[in-house]
Amino acid sequence: MNMIAPIERTGERLGRTEVAGLVALAARTVAPLWPLESAIAVNPLARFEELPFAQAVAEASKLFGARRTLPLALWRRLYENDRIDEAALRDAAIAHLGGIYHAAAPIAPGVTMLDALMACLLAIEPGDQPERKDGLGPDAAFIAKWCGAFFDHGMTTMPLPYRDLGLYRAVLAMAAYDPDYRTLTGARGAALLLSVPRDPLEAISEGLASLEVPVDELAYLSGLVARLPGWAGHIRWRTDHADPDRVADVPATMADLAALWILLARADAVSALPPAPSAGKDRRAALLAHFGLTAKALDARNAERLDAVARVDDDALGALFMTAAERSYANGLMPALQRAARTSNPPLRPDAQLVLCIDVRSEPFRRALEAEGNYETFGYAGFFGLPIALHPFAGAHRARLLPVLLSPRHDISERPVPGRESEAEAIADGARRDACTSDLFAAAKVGPATAFAAAEATGPLAAALMLARTFAPLAASRAAATLRKRRQLALAPAPEGYANHTGVSLADKVGYASALFRLTGMRPDTARLVVLTGHGASAVNNPYAAALDCGACSGHAGGSNARLLAAMLNDADVRSGMAEEGLKLPPTTYFLAAEHNTTTDEVTIFDADSIPDTHAADLAALSASLARAAGANRARRARSLDRAPGDLLTGAVHWGEVRPEWGLAGNAAFIVGPRDLTRAIDLQGRAFLHSYDWRADRDGSALATILTAPMVVAQWINCQYLFSTIDNERYGSGDKVTHNVIGGIGVVQGNGGDLKIGLPRQSLFRDNGLPHHVPQRLLAIVHAPFDRVAALVETSDILRRLFGKGWVQLIVIDPETARARRWREDGADCGEGRNLLCVDC
Amino acid sequence: MSDNTAQNAAASTLPGVRPPVWIALIGIAGLALLAADGRLAFSPLQLVIALLTMFVGTIVAAFSCRHMRTDRRRASYFARIALLIGSVLLFVLTDDLLAFGAAWIASGLLLASLIGHSDALPEAREAAMRARRTFLIGDLALLAALAIVGGHGGTTDVNAALSRSGSLSPLASHLAALLLVIAAAARCALPPFSAWLLSSMTAPTPVSALMHAGLVNAGGFLLLRLAPVLEAAPAARYAAVGLGLFAALWGLGVMAVRPDVKRALAGSTVSQMGFMIMSCGLGAYAAALWHIVAHGLFKAWLFLGAGSLIGMRQRERAPISRSAVLMAALLALCAGACMAFKAEVGGALVALTLAVAAAAATLIAGYGAPASRRARAWLVGLVTALIAANAAGLLLIGSLYQAHAEPLLPSPLLIAIAALFLIAWLFQAARMARGAALPPALYVRLLNAGSLPAHRTGDLA
Repeated sequence: MNMIAPIERTGERLGRTEVAGLVALAARTVAPLWPLESAIAVNPLARFEELPFAQAVAEASKLFGARRTLPLALWRRLYENDRIDEAALRDAAIAHLGGIYHAAAPIAPGVTMLDALMACLLAIEPGDQPERKDGLGPDAAFIAKWCGAFFDHGMTTMPLPYRDLGLYRAVLAMAAYDPDYRTLTGARGAALLLSVPRDPLEAISEGLASLEVPVDELAYLSGLVARLPGWAGHIRWRTDHADPDRVADVPATMADLAALWILLARADAVSALPPAPSAGKDRRAALLAHFGLTAKALDARNAERLDAVARVDDDALGALFMTAAERSYANGLMPALQRAARTSNPPLRPDAQLVLCIDVRSEPFRRALEAEGNYETFGYAGFFGLPIALHPFAGAHRARLLPVLLSPRHDISERPVPGRESEAEAIADGARRDACTSDLFAAAKVGPATAFAAAEATGPLAAALMLARTFAPLAASRAAATLRKRRQLALAPAPEGYANHTGVSLADKVGYASALFRLTGMRPDTARLVVLTGHGASAVNNPYAAALDCGACSGHAGGSNARLLAAMLNDADVRSGMAEEGLKLPPTTYFLAAEHNTTTDEVTIFDADSIPDTHAADLAALSASLARAAGANRARRARSLDRAPGDLLTGAVHWGEVRPEWGLAGNAAFIVGPRDLTRAIDLQGRAFLHSYDWRADRDGSALATILTAPMVVAQWINCQYLFSTIDNERYGSGDKVTHNVIGGIGVVQGNGGDLKIGLPRQSLFRDNGLPHHVPQRLLAIVHAPFDRVAALVETSDILRRLFGKGWVQLIVIDPETARARRWREDGADCGEGRNLLCVDC
Repeated sequence: MSDNTAQNAAASTLPGVRPPVWIALIGIAGLALLAADGRLAFSPLQLVIALLTMFVGTIVAAFSCRHMRTDRRRASYFARIALLIGSVLLFVLTDDLLAFGAAWIASGLLLASLIGHSDALPEAREAAMRARRTFLIGDLALLAALAIVGGHGGTTDVNAALSRSGSLSPLASHLAALLLVIAAAARCALPPFSAWLLSSMTAPTPVSALMHAGLVNAGGFLLLRLAPVLEAAPAARYAAVGLGLFAALWGLGVMAVRPDVKRALAGSTVSQMGFMIMSCGLGAYAAALWHIVAHGLFKAWLFLGAGSLIGMRQRERAPISRSAVLMAALLALCAGACMAFKAEVGGALVALTLAVAAAAATLIAGYGAPASRRARAWLVGLVTALIAANAAGLLLIGSLYQAHAEPLLPSPLLIAIAALFLIAWLFQAARMARGAALPPALYVRLLNAGSLPAHRTGDLA
């Protein structure tokens, strides 16, 4: 059929199945990227987790063109700001030089190798940080442009032609009309458009053969996939994680994307990946000058030592700073934890118990609340162990309210609270009305006859709205706040199934209710009031609002989960089921659900009017304490945000706000143990706290769950913050003020390009340019017997990988002796052949 | 945390100029200009545009206090924003040709530098350069036109020069008017000058708001301010009408295909500016001025709120059905035919006919919306209120600003122009109803409009 035969030599071809396998493997190069409406933290280097951390960073740097560490100048500023101890830095330097013996080796009289390395770290002018001048290459810009047009969800009125054919075929059809394609590929591109197979897998197979790709086809394909990590990550989300009904009308797989790249490659239009910015610099001369030496004065051995230090590049120096930051943090924390582990506190009978999410933002709030009265607090995953997807009342799509590691077991629905059906109907009607209004507005805006009058007619209203939102944001948001309250009163998540789904059975309810006790070590002699407290954030006009919500609820607020579990725990049948399992709760205990707003620190209590009269006084006292705790925590947070406490309330509803709160920035530790361990320590909002009682977990199964589920989520979050900070352009999403929302899915920078991954600059850096989030790896601290932890890690692939390859550092505190040991990374020195080494801190 | 909080606090006080201070500063600047000029009797045109600029400027400055708080170069940002607002106020309020030209050029340069504000974006510099180059063409055209008018009048006073422009030779008057149209088109981002605006998303969001609400419409202001020159040269008016008409439809096309919110809004601005320049050419000055004001407010609002459009949607049905479109179009044609008999409607006939179509279509759609009776009543009420606001605004501006030109075209032709928009509308509605896409060639052109040109691989190095 084709008049123009392919010009290239056709070599041996791979079959479709082989290609499909290769593409599936290559797809894993990028992490899935969730749409921002339910943003999920992922490790952009997830694919490299099988490698040791440093090696993974280096490999990924080559593939993504990303930096390997913060620029040296920023590390120094962090050091000058006391975020890193001198002693820890010195220790890291000594370890790098191979121990104290080598470090003390002299280069010249009074100058050791350590002195020289410390000078490189702290004093000698860093290499020039090469500026990134390369935008997206024209090849990547071409593919990104068509991805943007193809994946649009509701932004355009005139969709891309041929969209139903899939990404690859649609672009093949459109490229013939695209002058950009002509510029990019020339005559060869035009010929290819006619001749390449229409099936993406066939096209890849033919392309690989004709390009004579060397043996490692996988590496080649991976490199192509990695060129646009945002759009590729979006495709991964579509194929692996999206609800099929939401993405079915726009079919695309990684093979489509790879086939497009192969098309450009065959037209010789793929540009070389610009190298990652890395400041290489010969420090030899600078070192000599720094110590007032001359090259001639050094003998051969000393010159060699000098060279060894001078060869340490900026990336290696940055890695030393990171190690030092991690050690500084651990050194500060461990003695206090060990002290606490040695003292035992008698169990008390608190006035109320609160269960909050393990999120780092819960910790300071818990401390503030504990200071207000006789309250006991627990940390538990914010989805409260309920693997649910909730179908909102009169809403279109279900929300997955569980960690992305799990898939929903129950499709349940939001229903009117009995007796409030008409109110619920009114709310649904209002929602339909608003949807109709915005649809009509959108249509009027773009109709050739209506667009002009629509702009004119809306102008005066727009002026009023702008005034209100800019100068009276609290008043302007009152309507939305009222609606939220009405919703909470009239609607509640119900354990009954949605449509034909089955609901949550009694056995399941008993299981979820017991899990709370089993995993957190909460004792069955509960207080009169137990409040399950989910969390959410408030931010308006902010594409990254969902990134501030609960990660364990897939980027949603956690109130619904809390309400469901509280209702289960108040259920008499569930209570008797629990009693049969040995969890006999006092009949005087009442469970309440609440939601902590991490932006304003306000706590909303749900279904407070259904509380028995006997508990009204308890709730009143608790509410007063919560309000005082909110004030205290807000004041503390305002200081770290450089703002007035009241301004936090304004920022939460102001449409110009770019940093309503710090989110999880600063996260550094994941502490598994009882609250007694941490109660006396100000953890500064840097620690995930999962409650755990080693005595209540005889078989270690609770610990296994905690380390393989919540801790893994914490590690993803930690890695997202870490990499978004060290290279905010490649692993993060850059500056918020130039973000441009695309397709309702996410954002691009400025005029277009790749869909941005990671977090924006404002979420990580202070106004003076200093990172607020110090990039350091998660430190997991487990309060459990050494042998139990060792056995657990050794039998778990994922834990062996995370701890052994240095993605997470593990310190175990033995409950009996309060001694601490650090998990040995693979390949690290080990004198005793044990995996848990004595901690040197 | 052991942060150097003193340093942070010091850094954070930099943008510490609070919104009220900004309002005051901008107000004072406006008043100072009034006073410096030695008189307080401005034309309604100048007053209206100056008030719009101050209003949007105040909102943008106050929004920026929060939004740009974290910017590395916030001091220079705020300085340039203030200068930009000042320069716009100056060319709006001044009666001096030299000051007019200087302030006009300054506003363009300041705007271009704000488009390039983000030094982290490699393409920002390129986008700024593109704006500068386009403005250079427009500015040269403007300077030449001012030189012709001022040179002929022998004065630098705008009003005096205008009153003497009637005696320009036909050639000179046509040349001056065409140059003005070029200057206006460059600033209004009408094709072939629209690329600078369509690639200006490198600007921080509040700058875009200010740009689309207070800067691009300067082209319209220019034509209105120097209307006598334009009126003396029908050819230039035809050019304005033709260019405006094309831009109005083209920009809507860009808006319809762009998946990113900011460039879709920019496409809409090209379209709206085209419509406004067309109205200027047709002699419907009051309608054009009201359009400048209302569209400016509308677009500033949309840009500042552009961060809220996250959320994957699927539109099941077109909110305005095909039959509603057809009915509204026929109704509008009838209304247009009736209005054509009223002489005072003049060139505003096109805008009024389309307004009738819009009103009818939205009312029909609101009435038939898939919601409860209460919700539909609310929706119809909202639409009615907006229509009333539009009519009131138009009447208010019409009574304030009574300048208008002899109609350029006879009523049947005006109706024909309106019909052109209505046909395009029917075409769009029919396509949407069938779920049909645009022809690929057209789609690609619209999608690529304003993209910075692609390079052959390796050219960048």
